[in-house]
Amino acid sequence: MFFFGKKKAAADKGKEETAPKVDKEELLKKASELIQKLDTAQDKKEKTALLNEIGSCYFQAEEREQAIHYYEMSLEEDKQLGKAYTDLLKLYNQKRQEAAEAKDDEKMKEYMDKVQNLMQMSKDVLRGKI
Amino acid sequence: MVVLNFIINNILTQAAVVIGLIACLGLALQKKSAGTVASGTLKTMLGFLVLSAGSSVIQSSLTFFGTAFNAAFHMKEGAVVASIEAINGQAMSDLGLGGEIAITLAGIFVVNVILARVTKFKYIFLTGQALLWEATLCVVFAWFTGLRGPMLIIIGSIVGGIFATLMPALAQPIVRQITGTDDIALGHLCTVGYIVSALVAKVTGDKSKSAEDIQLPKSLEFLQDTYLSVMVVMIPFYLITAAFAGAEACAPFCGNTNHIVYAFLQALQFVTGLYVLMAGVRMLLAEIVPAFQGISMKLVPNSRPALDCPVLFPYAPNSVILGFVFTTIGSLIGMLISPMFGAFVIPGVMSNFFAGGTAGIFANQMGGRRGVVTGCIAHGIFIMILPAMLSPMLAQIGFVNVTCTDVDTIITGFFFMLIKSVVGLF
Repeated sequence: MFFFGKKKAAADKGKEETAPKVDKEELLKKASELIQKLDTAQDKKEKTALLNEIGSCYFQAEEREQAIHYYEMSLEEDKQLGKAYTDLLKLYNQKRQEAAEAKDDEKMKEYMDKVQNLMQMSKDVLRGKI
Repeated sequence: MVVLNFIINNILTQAAVVIGLIACLGLALQKKSAGTVASGTLKTMLGFLVLSAGSSVIQSSLTFFGTAFNAAFHMKEGAVVASIEAINGQAMSDLGLGGEIAITLAGIFVVNVILARVTKFKYIFLTGQALLWEATLCVVFAWFTGLRGPMLIIIGSIVGGIFATLMPALAQPIVRQITGTDDIALGHLCTVGYIVSALVAKVTGDKSKSAEDIQLPKSLEFLQDTYLSVMVVMIPFYLITAAFAGAEACAPFCGNTNHIVYAFLQALQFVTGLYVLMAGVRMLLAEIVPAFQGISMKLVPNSRPALDCPVLFPYAPNSVILGFVFTTIGSLIGMLISPMFGAFVIPGVMSNFFAGGTAGIFANQMGGRRGVVTGCIAHGIFIMILPAMLSPMLAQIGFVNVTCTDVDTIITGFFFMLIKSVVGLF
């Protein structure tokens, strides 16, 4: 019984280890499919929705650089206070923290400035400047 | 010895120089080039002088307003305008505390970093302007309690640093619910007001019905221009006051000019002074704050950044708009009852937007849209009563017809008064 218990635990652990990898692969596959659709987007609204979905896939797949890239494109397209904003805030903060741990002053300033720009955007949107 | 005495008595007593030296230190610690250090230092000194110029314009306008108000309404408490910017301006220039405030600002960063490193409150306060207001109140009230020199700066820095670390911690349980994450914190010194709003909303509201479920306009376009928004409030107050005061009471100020026209121009002068003062504040902080922020974040890399209130706006934009509206309603009620608490307080529009908007987000989180209504009306009253209560002490210190806005800074003032009372018992 003792050995059965160990094998069962090992099997469970194996299942846990494979599950996230499948999810990540699925997310990356979905992101690639959505990127193909970008050129055929009918209007700004559809393009922004696609960019947000692509960013979200990469965000969930923990591909931070790609997530930042597509979310930033989304905000360039249409400055909205939605998931792109809130996810970018988290991403910039994570990158800022990494830069602080690596004592990379330039990267730290870059991401702190990006956070400041996001906050300025939220003020401007709510005051009707955008 | 003669040279040293000259430096101490003629150079280090000049607030502009002390402020420049703080910027110089910050830039040098970041290992910037000699050219960048020199230009940054000079720009910071210029910022202080621009701030002082703005402050004197505001003060001249407020002196007229205060005199006209007393003549018009015979209210012994007098009238004050809620403007933390004007408080900072008067403290730095007219009260001659500019050097102490600048050093205390740096000291608050230092204490914040120390507390974030050694305690479980790992918050680094990044909103530079808010820290400048906190440094101002810490220095002013430490000075009022009798402290001077290095002890004033040390105590001011410790108290300010404690507020800078603990206020984000106080808000964090609700901020965590709003953002769905523990990665960011709130660095806006109106936290006690937000908690009041949240508590009232929790008791009276219905969390299941969110303000975000209803259709509202996406923006408050009339708030596009900060200074236009302030003008919209100040012009009616100045005109009504001058009309009630009459030509004779205003004559010492306006001479042959019609007193109503003069009042209109003085309202515009107030806004002009505010514009100049804020330009000075931005220049002053532009070099100092990034320097110390960068150092702080490196020394405590696992800290949570405590960011300015607009960071929360995207999580509940309808609540921001409703929060502004109902905080304004509350502040008008608070204005009418404020004389009972110390002075007739004229509300600040931009404070109602930023603090009111954020209070709306807190209230919605705890009590839905009904909570936003009740919580923010209570918030509006609260943010008028507290400045009214502090006004007599501010007048005693030497401030002219002005009071604070950000409630955490007001509580800092009360804290020093409490300490003074307790020490006075012995």
